[in-house]
Amino acid sequence: MVQINFARKEVNCKIVYYGCGLSGKTTNLEVVHEKAPSDRKGELTSIATEGDRTLFFDFMPLDLGKVGGMSTKFQLYTVPGQVYYNATRKLVLQGADGVVFVADSQRSKLEENIESLKNLEENLRENGLDIRKIPLVIQYNKRDLPDAMPVEELDEKLNWYGCPTFEAVAIRGEGVFPTLKKLSAMVLAKLNKEYGVGSRKPARTESRAQAAKASSGEISTSDRPAPTRKPAAKLQRQSALETATATAAPPATERRKGAAQTERPARSEPARPPRRSPPPPRERDPLRTAARRRTPPPPPARSPETRRSGSGNAVFYAIYALLALVVIGVVYLLVSGKLNEWIANL
Amino acid sequence: MIGKNSEQMRETRLVFYRDDVDRINDVLEEFLKLSGAKANILIDKEGHAVTQAGLTSSLNVDTLSALVAASFAATREMARLLGEEEFTILSHQGKNDHIQLTLIADRCILCTMFDDSTTVGMVRLYAAEASKKLHRIFDTIARRTEAPAGESIAADFGDQAESALDDVFGA
Ligand SMILES: Nc1nc2c(ncn2[C@@H]2O[C@H](COP(=O)(O)OP(=O)(O)O)[C@@H](O)[C@H]2O)c(=O)[nH]1
Ligand SMILES: [Mg+2]
Repeated sequence: MVQINFARKEVNCKIVYYGCGLSGKTTNLEVVHEKAPSDRKGELTSIATEGDRTLFFDFMPLDLGKVGGMSTKFQLYTVPGQVYYNATRKLVLQGADGVVFVADSQRSKLEENIESLKNLEENLRENGLDIRKIPLVIQYNKRDLPDAMPVEELDEKLNWYGCPTFEAVAIRGEGVFPTLKKLSAMVLAKLNKEYGVGSRKPARTESRAQAAKASSGEISTSDRPAPTRKPAAKLQRQSALETATATAAPPATERRKGAAQTERPARSEPARPPRRSPPPPRERDPLRTAARRRTPPPPPARSPETRRSGSGNAVFYAIYALLALVVIGVVYLLVSGKLNEWIANL
Repeated sequence: MIGKNSEQMRETRLVFYRDDVDRINDVLEEFLKLSGAKANILIDKEGHAVTQAGLTSSLNVDTLSALVAASFAATREMARLLGEEEFTILSHQGKNDHIQLTLIADRCILCTMFDDSTTVGMVRLYAAEASKKLHRIFDTIARRTEAPAGESIAADFGDQAESALDDVFGA
């Protein structure tokens, strides 16, 4: 739920990265944290297990600067992907204003992606949100892996809602910004549509000048195509690599480029989700499965100072270890018959 | 805009106008004075700070707010599992500094930081009083049908959003 605060002159929006375990959600956030201008980002906080798996969420505030006189801030969250953590996932999703679904492109992960997407719809519904109405983009991550499915096939299998999609190799930082930029634009466009004072007023020339001034510093505007504003329903050219198209794009996002970004056509008749997929195996002990399932790709450069793994786990391990020792001791005594002796001596 | 479909808006968003926040601030300041607590942050259920009072400048308010809302959400779930409707007060006791979280009118959380210069009892007592006052303010906010003059999303919000995004993410 957007918070509009005229006293602080702030607009606050909540964005959630969703997807199955190990699809790259945390990596996305780490990249945003690494690459966002330093005056715009807050600390990256992770509530994670010892093994760097997300336990509750990762969180990072991102400041978009002044928009319409309001300081516009996004709070970025990731959810824990493992099936086991559904209750936590639902909590994080509460009040979300936009969702990035991070899919793992590997063929072996297809069923998990489908389950996770269904789970997203269900959890949104339980939070009173409609997946067809909330701003949603899908990111096909891990495009670098040999097992990655072709994008066309992923579209067919996952993009039931006809939302914008992006290819990414999050671990190399590719496709991360285009994904978030698109979603941000959709969130702000929705906000403007619902709460704004008619965005079609002729205040445009002034703001264009401001835009040019604002971006003349680091970002070159010369090679950018002239901003052309088209009706949302019209098909647009999206990418330098591929001439994919999208409908229902909000007005704020038309000028874009970027190699890793391939936005795909929206489906007017969304394909139904395949119903046959069996439920993924339940993970009863997330800590142990984490270790077992960790995939071979090289670990990302995690900044240790911003990673706060729960030291509470150590306490649990200690308790388990103690219990185990006691049990072993009793069993040993029982087996060796010393227990009877000992009791008799009491 | 507000007048047009205020009913729907009240359900789907949280809007705080300057007057409302001024009145909330008065309550928070008074609460600090009476209880001897150090600082207050009022946080909405989504984890965005609404306003703050007292010694908050050294705090990372954004992150704190997100964590407070999350821990409250987690406790609410625990309450549900136990068949309890809601835990309305949560407290975290440290060596020197303590935090009390008080649910206000089911839509905000008041996060109060205090140390040993006062007591849990004092904080709890005056938090209950502040809670009632804030409840009344929220009621008037919920009944509002007109936005105060000059407090609305600017007309060129859409255009400026575009350049703000280019600014942060590159064109
Ligand atoms: N090969 C490859 N590995 C990736 C990519 N993105 C993330 N990973 C790896 O996938 C694993 C899980 O990533 P993480 O962000 O923790 O997943 P999460 O569970 O969704 O938060 C880590 O080992 C990452 O380094 C990618 O684009 N390509
Ligand atoms: Mg994670």
